[in-house]
Amino acid sequence: MAPVAPRSGDAVFANVERVNAELFTLTYGAIVRQLITDLEEVEEVNKQLDQMGYNIGIRLIDEFLAKSNVSRCVDFKETAEVIAKVGFKMFLGVTASVTNWDADGTSCSLVLEDNPLVDFVELPDTCQGLYYCNILSGVIRGALEMVSMKTEITWVRDMLRGDDAFELRVKLLKQVPEEYPYKDDE
Amino acid sequence: MIVCVAVVGHQNNPLYLQSFTEADDELKLHHIVQCSLDVIDERVNNPKKTGPTLNETFLGLLYPTENYKVYGYLTNTKVKFIFVTTDLDVRDADVRNFFRRFHSAYVDAVSNPFHVPGKKITSRTFAERVSTIVKSFGMSAAA
Amino acid sequence: MGREVSESCVDSVIIEMVSAYCNRFYVNKPDLAARRIEAIGYQVGLQLSESYTRILLVARYTMERPRFSDHLEAIKFICKDFWSELFKKQIDNLKTNHRGTFVLQDNRFRWLTRMSSDPSTANTDSSQDPSVATAENKSTQATSMHLYFPCGIIRGALSNLGIPCAVSADISNLPACELQLSVCFSITCMITR
Repeated sequence: MAPVAPRSGDAVFANVERVNAELFTLTYGAIVRQLITDLEEVEEVNKQLDQMGYNIGIRLIDEFLAKSNVSRCVDFKETAEVIAKVGFKMFLGVTASVTNWDADGTSCSLVLEDNPLVDFVELPDTCQGLYYCNILSGVIRGALEMVSMKTEITWVRDMLRGDDAFELRVKLLKQVPEEYPYKDDE
Repeated sequence: MIVCVAVVGHQNNPLYLQSFTEADDELKLHHIVQCSLDVIDERVNNPKKTGPTLNETFLGLLYPTENYKVYGYLTNTKVKFIFVTTDLDVRDADVRNFFRRFHSAYVDAVSNPFHVPGKKITSRTFAERVSTIVKSFGMSAAA
Repeated sequence: MGREVSESCVDSVIIEMVSAYCNRFYVNKPDLAARRIEAIGYQVGLQLSESYTRILLVARYTMERPRFSDHLEAIKFICKDFWSELFKKQIDNLKTNHRGTFVLQDNRFRWLTRMSSDPSTANTDSSQDPSVATAENKSTQATSMHLYFPCGIIRGALSNLGIPCAVSADISNLPACELQLSVCFSITCMITR
């Protein structure tokens, strides 16, 4: 049996280099605002944030695996728990919860009630179509792809749009067998 | 009771102005705020060379009128906070406490990535926080 | 005070932002990319200066802490408190020619030391081989693109403290970094009515 994945990222977070969240929050905010100016279309901004997140995710996964002591997850269910409890904690210092599993265990929701990305943020009326935190979905998608899980991630709830939490729907599309991590021809 | 608060930028451009009065004296209050800006400029450019107020962020009582007292605060980024109160007996500690909380709310408001520097603060959160701070003015337990 | 995130979050978004502007949005237009990256830094600098001057008031001093009375005090604030909040260390050396040029020297600039451990921007050893030289050249170019961000931050912070200036960075001695501030002292006549 594989070793049990850690249930909490507290210890990991305590051991990584940390900085004041303000610099991160303001930097991300300034990037989003500049993207809106340069790309004009909110849809395009959403797309680029997702792309940036994806690029970050495929790199961050190494740091995550190295520092979190997560060797491998048994299945998608455990993977989701590890992302929520260890992944979010290790990088953002907050914890998400996993809910709303579908019957066959291939899609679930990650719910985030506290999110350092949006401290201070109030969306102007002109940006109503913006998924401000879209970088997060990209990061998760990218990171999971590196451990052979192809996923589709969509926003269900968004506090900047007046919801009571952030909710990401994560749907497992395809799990490439571990033995052939780079074979993906579909 | 605080009847008016204002945030004014470094070029004396109004960033936020809110009255808290039912009486029909809004124009008068705005005029008082305008006049107090001159007092601030005067104090900052011609500081009394002695005394503890030299270069302090807290500017204290700017001037008393017949019915109002006006207090001011100047941040290191040259932004002015002003409030007008009808209270006649105002404790220094309450005023300092007010400005400390107000400054904190202001910093959070301008940290919104969609706030345009130098433009009016339109944040609803800021308006709510200001209103809370105004309501609790002078209510702190005696220190 | 203060919530924290892992430092790799900050590093990741900055590296990715620079890469997006240089390699996707403004390919072959490095000047435009540089201007955008600097603008992002500028906004962060404006906002951080509001926050850090307040932190200075609240945490370290009392309300009676004086306002900065001149440019030098504000620049010292940048070198000490602002830099410490950002990089956990102060500027190592501050020089000035007393005619509006200041040179801030950081011998181990955190963003450069962390970045050079990133294989995608790693430095190559100098060598006579021309192809290596080109790679090195490219790497220096990538590094200098990253520096537009902190330059923007410092320009934003200083301009918000009433000091409009131009900021440039010199990284000929990595990982040391010299920021040169050319302060355009704008002289305003303050006439009291």
